[in-house]
Amino acid sequence: MSMKVVDGRAGPRGPTLALLASSEAGLLLITVGFVILFSYLTPGFSSPFNTYALTRVLAIDVVIGFSMMVVLVTGGLNLAVGAIGVCAVMVGGWAMEVAGLPILVAVVLALASGAALGALNGILTVAMRVHSFVVTLATMSLFFGAMIVMTKAQAFNALPAAFVSLAKLKTYFFASSMLYISIGIGVLLWWLFHHTLIGRQILAAGANTSAARLSGVPVERTIVVCHALSGALAAFAGLMLTARNGAALPSMAGQLGMDWLLPAFLAPVLGGTLLTGGTLSVAGTFLGAAMVTVLSNGLLQLELGEFWVQAFLGIILLVAVALDRLRAHLMAKRRI
Amino acid sequence: MTEKLVITGASKAFPGVQALDDVSLALAPGCIHALLGENGAGKSTLIKIITGVHRPDAGTVLLDGEPVQFASPREAIARGISAVHQERNLIPRFSVGENIVLENLPRRRGLVDYGEVRETARRFMAPLGLEIDPDTPVRNLSVARMQLVEIAKALSLDARLLVLDEPTASITPYETETLFRLLRELRDKGVAILFVSHKLDEVFELCDSVTVLRDGRNACASRPLEGLDRADVVRLMIGREEQTARRTERTATGEPVLALRNVGTELGHRNVDLEVRAGEIVGLYGLVGAGRTELAKAIIGAAKVTSGEVQVDGKAVTIDSVATALSRHRIGYVSEDRKHEGLILMHSVRRNVAVTVWGRIARALGWLPNRAERDAVTPYIDRLQVRTPSLAQPVSLLSGGNQQKVSVAKWIAAEVRVLIIDEPTVGIDIQTKVYLHELIHELAAAGTAVILISSDMPEMISLADRIAVMSEFEVVGEIDNDHDATRMGEAIMARIHKVEGAT
Repeated sequence: MSMKVVDGRAGPRGPTLALLASSEAGLLLITVGFVILFSYLTPGFSSPFNTYALTRVLAIDVVIGFSMMVVLVTGGLNLAVGAIGVCAVMVGGWAMEVAGLPILVAVVLALASGAALGALNGILTVAMRVHSFVVTLATMSLFFGAMIVMTKAQAFNALPAAFVSLAKLKTYFFASSMLYISIGIGVLLWWLFHHTLIGRQILAAGANTSAARLSGVPVERTIVVCHALSGALAAFAGLMLTARNGAALPSMAGQLGMDWLLPAFLAPVLGGTLLTGGTLSVAGTFLGAAMVTVLSNGLLQLELGEFWVQAFLGIILLVAVALDRLRAHLMAKRRI
Repeated sequence: MTEKLVITGASKAFPGVQALDDVSLALAPGCIHALLGENGAGKSTLIKIITGVHRPDAGTVLLDGEPVQFASPREAIARGISAVHQERNLIPRFSVGENIVLENLPRRRGLVDYGEVRETARRFMAPLGLEIDPDTPVRNLSVARMQLVEIAKALSLDARLLVLDEPTASITPYETETLFRLLRELRDKGVAILFVSHKLDEVFELCDSVTVLRDGRNACASRPLEGLDRADVVRLMIGREEQTARRTERTATGEPVLALRNVGTELGHRNVDLEVRAGEIVGLYGLVGAGRTELAKAIIGAAKVTSGEVQVDGKAVTIDSVATALSRHRIGYVSEDRKHEGLILMHSVRRNVAVTVWGRIARALGWLPNRAERDAVTPYIDRLQVRTPSLAQPVSLLSGGNQQKVSVAKWIAAEVRVLIIDEPTVGIDIQTKVYLHELIHELAAAGTAVILISSDMPEMISLADRIAVMSEFEVVGEIDNDHDATRMGEAIMARIHKVEGAT
């Protein structure tokens, strides 16, 4: 009897559910649709220059999305992604320009400081037993403020040419080389979450904290690891942005680093990472970022004002959140 | 006499499942009617049609002789139907009193009259023997007390038709008796009661008539219970004869694997002494709030031991987390609450079973290929006969019995030396229950030290070698089990009530 019920439920409902619940296919279709639409509407969209510029932005937004995704999966969030990204970049800029360290060492230093700031978020979340929303709201302000005090809001704009040129490489189809780096990070994350011990522990703890704890999963450790990873990814996104800009700018992510928050949430939520934690889609986050980048780039090409684009992105986030709820509802409904 | 409720030819389909197919049921006022069936037979769906949660695709519902179509549970309540569902419907942050009177909060000049809330709540709690402060938030209560609050809430609606879905699943015989006395009083006042339970002894004790569902159809519709015996009912439910659990012969040997010496905990336990040896099944029995589940949590490191000593193999140990209990001392705990604590419902069968062995099967750099997980899990899924289309199936899509098997399987896969099993068969169909009982015997025979927590007295008496009786967070007595139901039941109750009388 139970066998029959189970098979029956998965059967007729399967295709529609699968499409909604794993939104990758849908996202891909929509994104391709927009690409075709914009190519048709404006010749500038498919020009080599624009393809290059678009993929460069995409490469960075994908990593920003990953940075949020790895914390969303714990059921938390990280409002300090931008602040951490900027702080880490200023460390890297200082190491290259003032301390004169080799590029590789400076990059490692920047990533390590991002990871350390992220880990601090995680430790505070665990120790104070509050939602990471409160902790990261506070540390966003703290990290950014401290960074401004220490750097006196001065940019490092005499970075080694070798570092800056990393962002300027073009490859096939006029795509930025940075996009391949982002894809590489995505593959590593996919492997981490689906094929390692800590990845499984993180997903278990995110999906049901008490069940995971009572099964011997070190829940607290997973939270700290996720926040540290988030910090490192934010630092990576910051480094990519720095290479693109040719300078480490305290203002590159806006006041308190808040310019990053919209892309940070949009990519994973559109991509099917549930806000309640426990499930994630690396490919979905990539495609979510792709859709957002294509859409905002296309709208700008159509000479719709910057603020209209911002408003559009806000609407898309609301739609994405509604989809998130729908997905959670469908998943719950499958167990009548 | 007109029937209170008549359902004729009710059908209900969910995508891919025909939950009910042409089901009929008639319920007279002043009658306690049993609704029986295995898990998945359609009992819950039928109840949800009666209480206005679902609407039938076909068929009619007559209430007091007139056809009704409820658009929502509120309409059903307005027509004098109240229900205690299997899932909890309480608001955890609200107080006991607020939850009980939630449907009609007493108001005075636009504000909630809290004096009245408390008084009304007490009026409905007292007959159930529920002596707690109505201001206590519901989330601070044990599962059993929540169940009693649910019942009090249903009673407060002054219903003419009362639906009870597994009301005794998590309460003790003592409370069950109080509840039954109350239900008989209501019946004598002309209330129609629909009673769902997996415990057939209770059904025969309490009910007048019976409807049995099997695979969404009537195996029998509204016939008097008189003239049927237990075997008849089981045959109607499962379509064949009942098996009894095979007992595997075994002897407990050696020194205690786990011993508590004068243990106190942050949860309020005092002076607890308990020992369990390899190959032994020790029962922990007690009334609601006796502190059994809490003691289990302290043993596995989910709560702090504040005084006394926990010994493993005779050596004092400190267990500060479940991870330590599992990896260092090989102690495991099967939770009573499989949906919230036992399983990660949205994850696959494979992940749910493998969670306890991940640390052991991971390779260098934490690499954990799916293949290793599958190999580690498959033998246990086979051994426990978990019915699932694949290992990738989300646990949420399995039936209750199969979910429970998964929840147990992960601890067998962990090869623990001490296994604490908390209410293993609550809300489980008969076949799975028999199977789990056999499994517990087998585990002990293979040398596992088992601590069994159960409120099901027949289960306790058939499984345990010794029974430690708990009351108010203390162990108040220990009895060697001679498997005589009457004598053991009396001995246990005597231990509990002596203490209750003394305090």
